[in-house]
Amino acid sequence: MRLLDLLRRDGVNQAARKKPHTEQSWVAPEWAWSWPANRRILYNRCSADPRGEPWSERKALIWWDADHGRWDGHDVPDRPPSHRPPKDATGPDALAGNDPFIMQADGKGWLYAPAGLVDGPLPTHYEPQDSPVPNPIYHRQQRSPVRQVFGRDHNLYHPSGDEPGSEVYPYVVTTYRLTEHFTAGGMSRWSPYLSELQPEFFCEVSPELAAERGLAHAGWATIVSARSVIEVRVLVTERMTPLTVGGRTVHQIGLPYHWGPNGHSRGDAANELASIALDPNVHIQEVKALTVDIRPGRRPRGPELLDLLHDYQRRAGITRQTGTEVRG
Amino acid sequence: MTDSLIGRNLLAGAEPDPAGDAGHADHPERVGFFTDTSVCIGCKACEVACKEWNAIPEDGLDLTGMSYDNSQGLGGSTWRHVAFVEQTRPVGAPDPSAPPDSDSETELRWLMASDVCKHCTHAACLDVCPTGALVRTEFGTVIVQEDICNGCGYCVPACPYGVIGQRPDDGRMFKCTLCYDRLGAGQEPACAKACPTDSIQFGPLDELRERAALRVDQLHDDGVPGARLYGQDPEDGVGGDGAFFLLLDEPEVYGLPPDPVVTTRDLPAMWRYAAAAAAGLLGGVAAAAAAAGRSR
Repeated sequence: MRLLDLLRRDGVNQAARKKPHTEQSWVAPEWAWSWPANRRILYNRCSADPRGEPWSERKALIWWDADHGRWDGHDVPDRPPSHRPPKDATGPDALAGNDPFIMQADGKGWLYAPAGLVDGPLPTHYEPQDSPVPNPIYHRQQRSPVRQVFGRDHNLYHPSGDEPGSEVYPYVVTTYRLTEHFTAGGMSRWSPYLSELQPEFFCEVSPELAAERGLAHAGWATIVSARSVIEVRVLVTERMTPLTVGGRTVHQIGLPYHWGPNGHSRGDAANELASIALDPNVHIQEVKALTVDIRPGRRPRGPELLDLLHDYQRRAGITRQTGTEVRG
Repeated sequence: MTDSLIGRNLLAGAEPDPAGDAGHADHPERVGFFTDTSVCIGCKACEVACKEWNAIPEDGLDLTGMSYDNSQGLGGSTWRHVAFVEQTRPVGAPDPSAPPDSDSETELRWLMASDVCKHCTHAACLDVCPTGALVRTEFGTVIVQEDICNGCGYCVPACPYGVIGQRPDDGRMFKCTLCYDRLGAGQEPACAKACPTDSIQFGPLDELRERAALRVDQLHDDGVPGARLYGQDPEDGVGGDGAFFLLLDEPEVYGLPPDPVVTTRDLPAMWRYAAAAAAGLLGGVAAAAAAAGRSR
């Protein structure tokens, strides 16, 4: 059926439906519409056992009505429980009535993934590309051996864990978004009503870190990585808690995204601190966790900024090869 | 109707029908806001919706350092204001508003509350307005008529909550209208419409007061002894607020006055004293003149 026909089924604009929750089931199938089959919970077949009996009355989504030979329930079902595909069926047609994971090739949920992932088959833990602590699980494998790295002058990596020089960038930065922002900087910084709610780029630090580095609440701080030097206003807040990792205190710095050089609210950008290190499967860069140093006051301008950047790189002993190893 | 007003002090005390006493003979129910701060998530959608609907200008790009509150307070260009209060409290304390011991483990409580014009039953801003720009609407709310206000500013110090303010590059006074234009079209105010958690509830004031009392009972039963209502009492210093609140701590914590009183409450008494003093003065002058006449 064409999308337009689906949307206009029964002569009703399905997407405009606003039936109150008090007048329909808790799954609320008649509130708007869900592509492509108005199914609200993708793997709802999991709520019932292979014969179609709900595992839990309270959480039942669909159930098999044996008397009438059809599914009943709050959500949109797929195949009858007894359905078995013909031997030569392919694709979705090859799924049986007891295969609930209909988006998977074999209709099953996987705990063990022997195919499809570069770094399968089981979940494990590696430290981020930049990390102040050694990998507690594999002492001789700090970072994922199959990550993608690009060691070059404008994308230098930090020494991590026990490696000499890691103490030059002793703090963890974690990045996040703000409720006040809509999607990203391009849509947020140009809106005066959003800009006045979060008017300046800031970092969030614990009172302990503020004392350790002499940071003043609502004052300025300079944050340094091997990639860049940025400046931020400081919020000292007990919402930021020092972590205890491997028996020692690790301070974290919160940095919101989406500032930049133009718009109503301008500032340096958190991404300037991050490196490009990609995950091996979908090639997403690791910009949620990195290491830095923080110091009070605004950043230098012009050549002095590069002097500061290079001084830190020198002290940490960073080369293009730092942090690019496959094993170790 | 005007007959019934003679001899009554309309500036303070019991006032069950502010719209009727303002001359709206056949008026709809009094409406208002119940802002339940226990479910506020601090999204500030109310602030943005208010500014969008009412076309209020952006009024400052200043980082305040007051947690995530960069709007600072209500004023001529901020008609909804979400306060953010960070509190350190003992972990699992039955009453989180109790101060922590020095050696007990603490956790953070982040209070958020959307403040707004209270649309007082006795509105001092309206009482002192010399131009009649501030009026009581048929819904029992208080609005400024932009085309009449001359910017004299009497209303600003008269408001016991510090709500109304001047727009500096304009000169006139502005505040929340409870979206008077939307009410007339049968719609709820923009902030209540935008609130994703129903922290801001709009409706007939009597209904809201009932609902709020039930909510406080529910929170007390759920182990939140600090829950209390603010501004719901028709006996209080402003005759009850048209926009009242459920708070989780003392009003001062949120920047609200603990016991607001309509600033015009004592005007009749002040005029009586002034009249007595004037009469005394006149009498004294007359007596002195008479004495002087005799001694001549």
